[in-house]
Amino acid sequence: MALRNTAIVGYAETKIVEKSDRDIWELGAEILDSLLTSTGFEKQEIDGLVLSASMTGAGNPFWSQTTADQLGLELDFCQTVDIGGSAPLGALARACAAIDAGLCTTAMLLFADTQGAENNSRQRAFSGEWTTPYGLLGPPGAFGLLSKRYEHLYGLDFRMLGKLAVAQRGHAVLNPNAVEKLRQPMTIDDYINSRMIAEPIRLLDSVMVCDGASGLLVTGRARAKQKRIAKFVTPIGYGERTNFRIGESVVDVTQSGHLAAGTKAFATAGLAAKDICSFHPYDDFIIAMMIQMEMLGFCKPGQGCAFIREHDFTHTGDLPLNTGGGQISAGQPGLAGGGVNLVEAVRQLMGAGGARQVKRIDNALVTGIGGIPYGRNWATSTAMILTPDA
Amino acid sequence: MSETVNDTIDVVREPPTPRSFSRPYWEGTRQKKLLVQFDRRSGKYQFFPRANSLFNGHRDLEWREVSGQGEVFTYTIARRGPPGFRGKEPYLIATVTLDVGVNVIANIVHCGLDEIAIGMKVKPYWLPLANGTHLLMFEPAR
Repeated sequence: MALRNTAIVGYAETKIVEKSDRDIWELGAEILDSLLTSTGFEKQEIDGLVLSASMTGAGNPFWSQTTADQLGLELDFCQTVDIGGSAPLGALARACAAIDAGLCTTAMLLFADTQGAENNSRQRAFSGEWTTPYGLLGPPGAFGLLSKRYEHLYGLDFRMLGKLAVAQRGHAVLNPNAVEKLRQPMTIDDYINSRMIAEPIRLLDSVMVCDGASGLLVTGRARAKQKRIAKFVTPIGYGERTNFRIGESVVDVTQSGHLAAGTKAFATAGLAAKDICSFHPYDDFIIAMMIQMEMLGFCKPGQGCAFIREHDFTHTGDLPLNTGGGQISAGQPGLAGGGVNLVEAVRQLMGAGGARQVKRIDNALVTGIGGIPYGRNWATSTAMILTPDA
Repeated sequence: MSETVNDTIDVVREPPTPRSFSRPYWEGTRQKKLLVQFDRRSGKYQFFPRANSLFNGHRDLEWREVSGQGEVFTYTIARRGPPGFRGKEPYLIATVTLDVGVNVIANIVHCGLDEIAIGMKVKPYWLPLANGTHLLMFEPAR
């Protein structure tokens, strides 16, 4: 099976900053240098490059080629994945498939964006005709609509959402790569009292756009063994769903494509939500994590707040959550944001979590969310289960 | 007294640029007609307008005039607007389920924060745009 034949042999990450004074290609170079140094691979061994799309590179339709040129990589496989915040996890799945299919043998995955410093995107979408004239503020507006519907259907205990925010903030304090501005402890009251943006979405529900980069080095499992790589991480289940229930005109916005993606990922892995040792869900908004808990089977739809009440999401708790702080407390490096939680999961599975190392590393579940559609929750949902040296 | 909500009727909106396949919708708004695409094969409506059917991918869609009556499916109170709407907060944006079974996102006007609720019945309110077309909004069907 494609996933299990591959090995993540290295990870790398830059400091996340509000506005980078370094060029996106310099961030990419730092990731390449770090991956080569930590794994002992030579640059010439890398014959694949998979990028996540970026706001900085958005004006350039030759983005992966241009970046490969800048990094000095000679490749057999080169592409950009453009499924929004789902792109880093999607890039990993595509790299695994490419390696398994023989398109390349060792791939560098690069998730870099400097959206804060240099946003070159001009997005051709439905919004110009159908939402911009109404003053709908992009993602916060969409999540305001989603949250209100959830509250109507099931009730919503905002203090439980605050509990997730506080757990993640505690992790960011322990993460030197997290953006400095957010490395301050906070309380549930701080969350509740933060100002409303798109009611009921608050400021502390939301990610802060930042700049930064992360990356992985992926090769075949046999090759990792042959090179005597001491520690590697293997994906054992993946699911991806874009445009969940697009063929319905009135959609329940409290249900996401993670219902489909999660089912597939768990079935492939032979695991269930109860088996998960640490959970690294994509977090553009706090409530997105609760909805994913429901969709992925940690609890039933509508039971998210009760589930949160019963569990401890700190790195020493029974279900450690986004132990690097998540994007909400570590900062969201633009469209590379999906790399933040992915790289943290790999770091934890390699036992390199330092002050925030989790105890149980039999597996980790990482997810992605990408794109804000019209009247639905999000465009792409991904879920991947990873294990150490499977 | 409940908090005042802004109707944003005084916010100047640039008339949207229609696509080749959404032009009939915008032309219809000149006469305050709400035209929604109907897919004959599946017997269902879809919104926003697309170049093919969401249900089966074919292109035999027809435009049907609908009443625009519906009810609030969900809403948000915008407390921070994008440029153009800055300083006009708070204002209401809702997803409205039309009687024909499609969800439409638009501002709710002439409605207080103490009145807005999921399930509230609404009817169209047409905001004139500079090019003679109108922007679909909703107001309570009292």
